[in-house]
Formats: sequence, structure tokens, C-alpha cells
Amino acid sequence: MSWKKELEEKLIREKLSENLGGKERVKKQHDAGRYTIRERINILTDKSSFHEIGKISGSATYDENNDLVNFTGSNFIFGNAKIDGRNIVVGGDDFTLRGGSADASIREKHIKCEQMALSLKLPLIRIVEGSGGGGSVKTIETTGRANVPEVEGWNLVVESMGTIPRVALGLGSVAGLGAAHIACSHYSVMVKEKSAVFVAGPPVVEQIGQKLTKNELGGYEIQLKSGAVDAAVDTEEEAFNSVKKFLSYLPNSVYQLTEQLSTEDNPNRTSEWLIDAIPRDIKSVYKIRPIIDELVDKNTFFEIGKEYGKSIVTGFCRINGWSIALMASDPYSYGGCWTSDTCKKVQKFVDLAETFHLPVIYLVDCPGFQVGLDAEKKGTIKEGVRAMSAIWQTTTPWLSIIIRNCFGVAGAAHKRGSSYISRCAWPSARWGSLPLEGGIEAAYRSDIENSNDPKAELEKINTRLNKLRSPLRSAESFLIEEIIDPRNTRKTMCEFADLAAPLRKIGMTSRTMRP
Amino acid sequence: MIYSEVSGTLIKILVSKNQIIEEGTDLLVIECMKMHIPITAKKRGKIIDIFIKEGDFINEGDKLLEVVYDF
Repeated sequence: MSWKKELEEKLIREKLSENLGGKERVKKQHDAGRYTIRERINILTDKSSFHEIGKISGSATYDENNDLVNFTGSNFIFGNAKIDGRNIVVGGDDFTLRGGSADASIREKHIKCEQMALSLKLPLIRIVEGSGGGGSVKTIETTGRANVPEVEGWNLVVESMGTIPRVALGLGSVAGLGAAHIACSHYSVMVKEKSAVFVAGPPVVEQIGQKLTKNELGGYEIQLKSGAVDAAVDTEEEAFNSVKKFLSYLPNSVYQLTEQLSTEDNPNRTSEWLIDAIPRDIKSVYKIRPIIDELVDKNTFFEIGKEYGKSIVTGFCRINGWSIALMASDPYSYGGCWTSDTCKKVQKFVDLAETFHLPVIYLVDCPGFQVGLDAEKKGTIKEGVRAMSAIWQTTTPWLSIIIRNCFGVAGAAHKRGSSYISRCAWPSARWGSLPLEGGIEAAYRSDIENSNDPKAELEKINTRLNKLRSPLRSAESFLIEEIIDPRNTRKTMCEFADLAAPLRKIGMTSRTMRP
Repeated sequence: MIYSEVSGTLIKILVSKNQIIEEGTDLLVIECMKMHIPITAKKRGKIIDIFIKEGDFINEGDKLLEVVYDF
């Protein structure tokens, strides 16, 4: 006698699990302009590559003869699949079943999904909608008791932050544990106007006197600026593409290294306009992103966290085909000064590079930390020293190119202590403990006050000191190793990427990164 | 609405009420950390109101200009 009957029963359950929360709820999901979880996984992953684990886990009802009457799958679906031919693990909430909350969930599935990605050393993509398997107020009635809160399996989440790439997509309203999964990732994306991420949604927040819409409370404009989410796009398809792009710069885990891709971009390509890129007027700003695009392999710069801590631009790129973590100052935001948020952004980005063994290139234009009452209230110096410590703790190969300002403690954080880094400067570079501007009046007060023409005296001192601060003078004393022609910067970066590649080492870092 | 993303002193207003602005147009200049930082239009629009005057100290998040984009 064969086992066909049992297999047929299994297939019935599988078929029923594809109904998700039922036709009506699926229609509601579509009417809101959102895909179902199964559609999302199909679009995200290579065709027919999804191998679902636990497809027949859920809740079943039986008649008096113990024959199956109905079956509903659990509201968390996961398994392994391929993206661009590469293995990954994907897990996602089914919002059509109790909004993804724990009531319709099987907690062990979430844990198994985390274990699977961590043990197989594969990137994990979490598609979050609803409460991400967290509890709801109704849980007390379904379980008949109140639970002491715990997040079982969070140890796996913490470990995987230092082991495998974690990506999270917030594709609807996301609250509680779901929001925690979004925030606890190396890269997160939401969809404009259709996603909102918050600790608790509008009905709860109204109880504390704040009447806000979902978008006003946790829409993309809020969460991108807060740094809780890295990117927002217009459609779910774009969100999936950005995930693919992000992963393309990273290894499957810290136990692998990224490979060099072929590039048609000449490593010796020169860029004539870069000789004029930095204005001579020190009060004038310039746009950093065209400079970045000019220097990296064509069309490879992938920015992360564009709306947060904006004095630093961070992202991945390819340099002569190698995957590189690139940071660059943006003078349009506080002149490039490090704000409190900038410091937090630097911490996360440097940790990310160190975790996945990506060499760092930093285009430096940092006049120092942001100063003033606002900066003090935001604890800039505290976050600043944390950013510095993150930099000091790196071991990954590092190239700093000082393109303009490099002042004070924040400026000094372009390198780590005494360990070797590659470093050079453009002729437009200026540096010191403090910028001369504003400091001359105090330092030379008596000379200026005792002069018959204080204004002329100030001008005279200015001219004298300006000559002294030429970067060439610093180079004469070997305080800077090299002054390069800006037009040849790409060549310097490609040479660095080639030299850095064999120095990368696999394994976990001694201090794994926190989200 | 355009809000300030930095704090500093407003040194120049480059637009006037009812002016049509194109993407990339410099609207205001704020002196911030001793640098002159232009506030630029992100898309085409029309200036409806100006809430600040030259010489004002601007805080991050302050309302600067009201702009409409469908007109």
C-alpha cells in the first residue's frame, strides 16, 4: 500500500494555505495598492526558486471523524530562494491574516527563519507588514492570560547583525515588533505614502493626546530623517530592486569576501573638471554627489541613508570592480560639520564596512563638529566620540582624501590612531586645530587693538597666516603624505582598491555591530 | 512648505512672492558654520509666502517659504 493518500492530504493543505486570509481580504490588500506576501516573494526572487519551509503549518479544523474541514496557513511565510542566482533566505508577514500579528502566527517559524539564515550563512530579507508577529491586545483573550513580555529569538537577530546581511522592507503599516525588525537591519526600505513605521500607531498615540495620521506619525518623511529607515521608494517593485542592489555589494556572510566584477570603466580615467570642483572662496559650497559619481566606476554609487545625518554622504560603490564603502562630506549640510545625527550615521556605516570587510574611502571636508546650543543639546560630542571610536576600531583598509576642510577633533577622525591608512589631499585642502577665521581676532587682539588701522592690521595678519597654511607647507614637514592632482583621483582610488583587496580577512569582528 | 534643514543666519532672500521657481533655483542663502549655504528648489513651483527676513537667525525645522507645486 502506498502513501499517496497522505501526500494528497498534504497537497490539499498546501493549496489551502495559498488562499492566505481569503478572497475578500486579498482583494482589500490589492485595493490598497499592495501585493500579498506570496506575490511579493515571487516578484523579489528568481522564478520558481522559492522553497517554502512549513507551508502546511497553520490552523486546521476537523469534523467529528477527525477529517479535515478547513485549513488556514500561519501568517508568516519563509524559506530559501535565489536572487540573481544567489541563495538567500526570505520571510514575510501575511497582512491578510490578523494583520501579521501573533494571534495567527506560529512563533517558532520566526525563530526558525532567523536560525536558517544564520546557520546557512545566507542574507536574510524580512518583508514586514503589520506587527511582525508581535502581540496584539486580543492576545490576552486568545491565550487566557497576560504574558510577561519577551522577544524570543532576539539573540539570533543580534548575532546575525554581525554575521549575515539583514535587509528589511516595510510595505504597509508596521508597528511594535515589526518596527523593531525594520530598525534592526543593515538596510531598510519603505514605500512612500503606502508604508508607515511606528512603535505604536495612531489609535494608541491618540491616547496620549496626539491626533495624527499614519503618515504624519511614521511616514517616510519622518522615518528617513529620524534614521530609523534608510530609503523610501515609490513602488514595491522599486523596493525589491533596491534590496537586490544593496545585496550586490555584500558577501553572503562575513565568512566570504566580495569578488571583483569586470568593469569597462578605465581605472586611469582622468576628470578635467575636478581641478575646478572646489571653489576658492572658502564660504562657497559645492555639490559632492557629482564628484562621487565622477570618481567611482560608472553608475555604481548606491547611497544609503540620504535624508539622515546629511553632513556625510554614505554608500557602496565599485572601484575598479571592487566593492567599496564610500563616505564623503557634504558642505550643503552644516558646511560638512558633524552633527549628532551625522556621528550616528558614521558609526553605523563604519561598522557595516568593518563587518563585511569592505575597504573604506573617505572624501574629507569636515570643518569640525557642529557648534552652538542646539549641538550641545543633542549630545554631539558624546555621539562624536562614539563615531571616532568606531573608526578607531576598524581594521579594514582605509583611504582618506582630504579635499577641503579638516579641522578639530571631528576632522582628526578621518583616520584611526596610529595604524596605517592610505592618505592624500587635494591642493584645496586646509587644516588645523581650529579654522583661522574667527580665531585671529582673539589670538591677535592686542596687535589689532593697538594698531592705528585695526582693519588693515587684521588683513595683514590674515594674509601672513594664509600663506603658512598652504598644504604644501604641511607636506614639506610630511604632515600629509601626498598632494595629488584632483583630476587623477580615480587612479589613486583604483590603485588603493587593488592594494586593499588581498588584505581583507574573513570572519566576525571582535565587536559585532549593533543596529 | 519649505523648512530649514540647518540653523544659521539668513543672509539673502533671492525670490519674491508669486514668483515661479524652477527645479534647482537658489531660493535663499543661509550662513551656517561660516559657510554660505543655498536653499534650492527641489521641483518647479510658485512662491506663496515668505516667513523670514534677511538677518533673521533660523533654527533647524523653521518654516521658510510656502510653495505650491500645482498651479
